[in-house]
Amino acid sequence: MRQINEIIIETRGLKKQYVMGAETIHALAGVDMKVRRNEYIAIMGPSGSGKSTLMNLIGCLDTPSSGEYILNGTPVQDLADDELARIRNREIGFVFQTFNLLPRATALHNVELPLIYAGIPSKERHAKAMAALERVDLGDRTHHKPNELSGGQRQRVAIARALVNDPSILLADEPTGNLDSKTSAEIMAVFKELHDAGQTIIMVTHEHDISDHAERVVTLRDGLIESHDARADGVYAGA
Amino acid sequence: MYLLEGIRLALQQVWAHKLKSAFTLIGVIIGIMFLIAVITIVEGMNRYVQEDFAGSLFGVNTFSVVRRSNIETGEESSERRRRQARNPYLTMHDVETVRRAVPDAWRFAYSDDRYFPRVSFEDRSRRNVRIVGGSEDYETLQGWEVEQGRGLSPLDERRGLPVAVIGQEIAQKLFPDETPLGKRIRLGPRRFEVVGVWEKQGGLLGNIRDASILIPFSVYRQSFSRNPNRVGSISVKMRTAEEMDVAMSEVEAALRTDRQLRPGEENNFWLETSSELLDVWDRITKILFAAIPGLVSISLIVGGIVIMNIMLLSVAGRIREIGIRKAVGARRRDILIQFLAESSTLSLVGAAIGVLLGVGLGKGVQAFTPLPASVPPWAIGVALVLGLGVGVASGIYPAYRAAKQDPIVALRYE
Repeated sequence: MRQINEIIIETRGLKKQYVMGAETIHALAGVDMKVRRNEYIAIMGPSGSGKSTLMNLIGCLDTPSSGEYILNGTPVQDLADDELARIRNREIGFVFQTFNLLPRATALHNVELPLIYAGIPSKERHAKAMAALERVDLGDRTHHKPNELSGGQRQRVAIARALVNDPSILLADEPTGNLDSKTSAEIMAVFKELHDAGQTIIMVTHEHDISDHAERVVTLRDGLIESHDARADGVYAGA
Repeated sequence: MYLLEGIRLALQQVWAHKLKSAFTLIGVIIGIMFLIAVITIVEGMNRYVQEDFAGSLFGVNTFSVVRRSNIETGEESSERRRRQARNPYLTMHDVETVRRAVPDAWRFAYSDDRYFPRVSFEDRSRRNVRIVGGSEDYETLQGWEVEQGRGLSPLDERRGLPVAVIGQEIAQKLFPDETPLGKRIRLGPRRFEVVGVWEKQGGLLGNIRDASILIPFSVYRQSFSRNPNRVGSISVKMRTAEEMDVAMSEVEAALRTDRQLRPGEENNFWLETSSELLDVWDRITKILFAAIPGLVSISLIVGGIVIMNIMLLSVAGRIREIGIRKAVGARRRDILIQFLAESSTLSLVGAAIGVLLGVGLGKGVQAFTPLPASVPPWAIGVALVLGLGVGVASGIYPAYRAAKQDPIVALRYE
């Protein structure tokens, strides 16, 4: 049994600096945050607030300049590239604004991709990818290539790919940024379903009507957390 | 897993851009094609020389005494060739010396030959023919077979009859639509009755017989020889190789004694065998095989550079793909292997095409020349390994560039 209050992400004093010429940019100036399993969080903030940097760190695409990051019980702040790749493969499912599907591969192959790098045999891979596509209602589009699918369908393929390895968190970066409002609503409905089924979701957005779908909104400003706004009962806010 | 993925992607790529792939792979294709074609032709020549040519020119277990070596090996000093040029011409006296030295010879013959400007019949003629004056047994010793009519007989020789056996080329030229048998052909002021036609010899190196006219030695001596006592070569055929070795030393000793050469003094005659010719051929083959690596490696290096450039372009065009793969869990080595597999597959496809074209070229040579094309399996193995090597070597740098992409940058790449 999963503990209901199990903490899946914990950051302490997370900092990230970039050196640009003579200048040092403090993208994150010390972020402390906790995320429990099955939370649905939106990260908001104006551009330059550090939300992309935070997202990259949470997604293990990058390592912090200093501070700690414990993901699902494992400190990951000092891991090497290849170890981070393994963590991304197992713990994190990405959904991007621009979908980021392989253009020449079928929907099925796109969804299989994380399983290929996990070293899963092709039969099992195939079955899992089919199941993930059916979960987003694309069971009949498995052999279509991205350019044969609508924007909403592409994003659902991306969601299927994010879910196929059963990750600890679904990390979505402006998932509706390239979609019209009707399709956006569809995608939000899919997210709600996943959340209801127990999926932890962290979503970066700047649209309020999208962040409204989340249980909690974390607002960043100048590399620091400005506010935690809890919307639902039983959800822990703040560190 | 990603190895298969790389191979699949590469094949897709090759298939989707056939023309571009052809240009990409042209260096490798040409290099490998050249390699296979040269090996095929050299192997074919090898077999031809060993099986047909040497045998037809000299016969098996046969050796000849000549004034000087006909075969230039390129290793002899010009000094030695000058010394050989001072050797006395062979004479009928030498014929008797050799005959006495090998009383148990299976076949024994002597001959002389020269080029003659023209042979004609009525208003047709052929230029540049070789007239051979051959003693009894000459044709048997050479292994020449008649196709029509008969060969020379002992009677022709003894009576000095003006008869001739002609080669195929001459027969076709002078008698395009009638039988040559019984016709009288003209060589200078003399006329000869054609009594037979040789079988076609064909052959790339050895079609001497097809343009030859064999007449009795006695007739040759009277009509064509510059010096009636002169003999071109004395040939001895034994039954086995061992017998031949013994006979050769006996002939050498007899000639040295007869010519009163002191011990240590060099022979002033030359003993020629087919194995000597084969030695020369061996040397030519070795030179050819030594030249292949240089020529082939140049085109393979060029081919490798082209593949490397195409792979660099391919990496540059797929930065985002690399980002996606990294985001979903590809490690550096996964990306590295993927691109290496791709360049290797690409190059292997080129090598395979090169092998096919090379074999085709060899078969073409076989179809248009008498050389048997022979593709040794090891050559195909070498070609494919080379192709793979070029692929890996030219893929390393592009694959490394791909593998070290930062996923964050790569994902945002437009």
